[in-house]
Amino acid sequence: MFYRLAGVHHTRYQTARGLWPIPADRWQVLFLLLLALLAPFFLSNLYLGSYILPWLIWSAAALSLTLLMGTAGQLHFGFAAVMAIGAYSSIHLVRLGVPFELALLGAGLTAAVVGSLFGMAALRVKGLYLVMATLAMQYLVDWVIINVPAISGGAQATLRTPDVSFLFLPIDTLAARYYLALGWVVLVTLFFLNVKRTSFGRALVAIRDKDFAAAVIGVDPFRTKLAAFFTSSFMGGVTGAILAFAFYRAVTPEQFSFNVSIQLVAMVLVGGLGSAIGGFLGAGFVLLVPIFLTNMVTWLAAIGWIAVSANLIAHVPLMIYGALIIGFLLFEPLGLAKIYDNIRKYFLVWPFRHSRS
Amino acid sequence: MKEAATGEPILVCREVSRWFGGLHALKKVSVTIDRGEIFGLVGPNGSGKTTLVNAITGFYPPQEGAITFEGRPINGLKPHRIARQGVARTFQNVALFRGMSVLDNILMGRHIFMNPNPLASLFYWWWAQAEEIAHRRKVEEVIDLLQLESVRDEHVDVIPLGLQKRVELARALCAEPRLLVLDEPMAGMNQEEKEYMVRFILDAQEALGLTVLIIEHHMDVVTAICGRILVLNNGAQIAQGPAREAIADPQVVEAYIGKARHAA
Repeated sequence: MFYRLAGVHHTRYQTARGLWPIPADRWQVLFLLLLALLAPFFLSNLYLGSYILPWLIWSAAALSLTLLMGTAGQLHFGFAAVMAIGAYSSIHLVRLGVPFELALLGAGLTAAVVGSLFGMAALRVKGLYLVMATLAMQYLVDWVIINVPAISGGAQATLRTPDVSFLFLPIDTLAARYYLALGWVVLVTLFFLNVKRTSFGRALVAIRDKDFAAAVIGVDPFRTKLAAFFTSSFMGGVTGAILAFAFYRAVTPEQFSFNVSIQLVAMVLVGGLGSAIGGFLGAGFVLLVPIFLTNMVTWLAAIGWIAVSANLIAHVPLMIYGALIIGFLLFEPLGLAKIYDNIRKYFLVWPFRHSRS
Repeated sequence: MKEAATGEPILVCREVSRWFGGLHALKKVSVTIDRGEIFGLVGPNGSGKTTLVNAITGFYPPQEGAITFEGRPINGLKPHRIARQGVARTFQNVALFRGMSVLDNILMGRHIFMNPNPLASLFYWWWAQAEEIAHRRKVEEVIDLLQLESVRDEHVDVIPLGLQKRVELARALCAEPRLLVLDEPMAGMNQEEKEYMVRFILDAQEALGLTVLIIEHHMDVVTAICGRILVLNNGAQIAQGPAREAIADPQVVEAYIGKARHAA
């Protein structure tokens, strides 16, 4: 078949540690990247602006969270708050006259500092207690944003994002905003993949899998967990800023409420913890499947195949969506990424069948 | 018997005591381990062997007494600091990282020489790659030494226990320790795996000039490879000295199988 390990011989460690050691994978990545680069030329503004653009940005958010939850094993139920800090800081920085590039950096740093402050709690607590600590962060940050007019502009206010340019290119058209998001998600993905093959990523996994064994070979649990919170929050903060500037273009506190945190956790879980492709698949599933289901149910009702009242139509897609999440997690608890991996392995060992692991 | 003991002490424990609540797990244990020797630590279950090792490696710092490694006091240091001083260990029930391949587990042993930094990961091609490859070379040497080539790319939880223990030994060796602490490296192994393990320990000790502190229940192994041993019972030392003599000590016999006059 087209996936083959046979015939792939590595003569240098460099290629053996490559991101995509199988040629078929490299072609696939190249093809998808090309497709993404050309998307503004063949997709309508509706699809580009309301499906692909948010999907890319939320994928970056899911990747930021999965670095913390999947790779480092630290649960975080307040990640929307981290993104909110990034979004609000970037807007205020730009309004103060800071160039957009630096404002993005500032947004990441602010989110990283606040995120690791709350992450300090993680150094003492694990599991459900960590969930509580991060939930506290979500509510505290929400409260501060809503109640400090200097940040939110008032309890019911909406902050419009100023016009900006990135590296002298004005971010004014949809295509420009799309390329900004695409650039960020590519950077986040490369970073995530590189983390997994370097000592930083191994230290994170070591702390997740067996913290005492990690300590005995010289991993400092304190520094490593803190670095995980810092890095993940930095990425989350920048993603929040990109979300504000490239997609919402006006921010309100509700855009980063507790529900959003739960959705992010759902993206990470459904996609597959600690997997890059899982971030994309999970974000796509959580964002796009409800829309797809609503369209389908409405269409089926319109042509008279199913009889549902207008009341019910709002709920049926949500019910199917919930059932789908449960179904996928029952079928493969390790998420969509694992399903993808199983299919890939099936082709790798074809015509034999010992692909399940 | 491989003996390269120099008489120069590398690890000194002086009157080490440790309590867990009301349980007096270690009672004023004193021991000196010389550079280059293989030192055995034996005793019945619950006699405090693992507690002593945990005191040395920093998990349960002793409440009384002093531990010095190469002349520097190490009691009270966190485990990861002690690791950086040159002490490596393996665990009784294998403590590998289950989410990683065999290779990544062994690479983890190089951690103290590496620079785990998110920025280095971000700029992988310019910053981390050279370092990763340099350490990969060292890791391959250890893989050669312990004959782990065939399972290098396997996931660590799909290989048999005997190999897992060998991977754990490889991970410890990669840290280039001066003192290697092995907590029952042959527990749960069959005769063949046991003999392999002994061979690997001796090979590694000779090739890398290690000092080894080994907890072991198999007396044939202990008498075969250990120069001197310390026998613990209920947290207290009951014998110390050359392996065969210490094992023949009446107190040791009593601790293991009871007094002669109680026998029917």
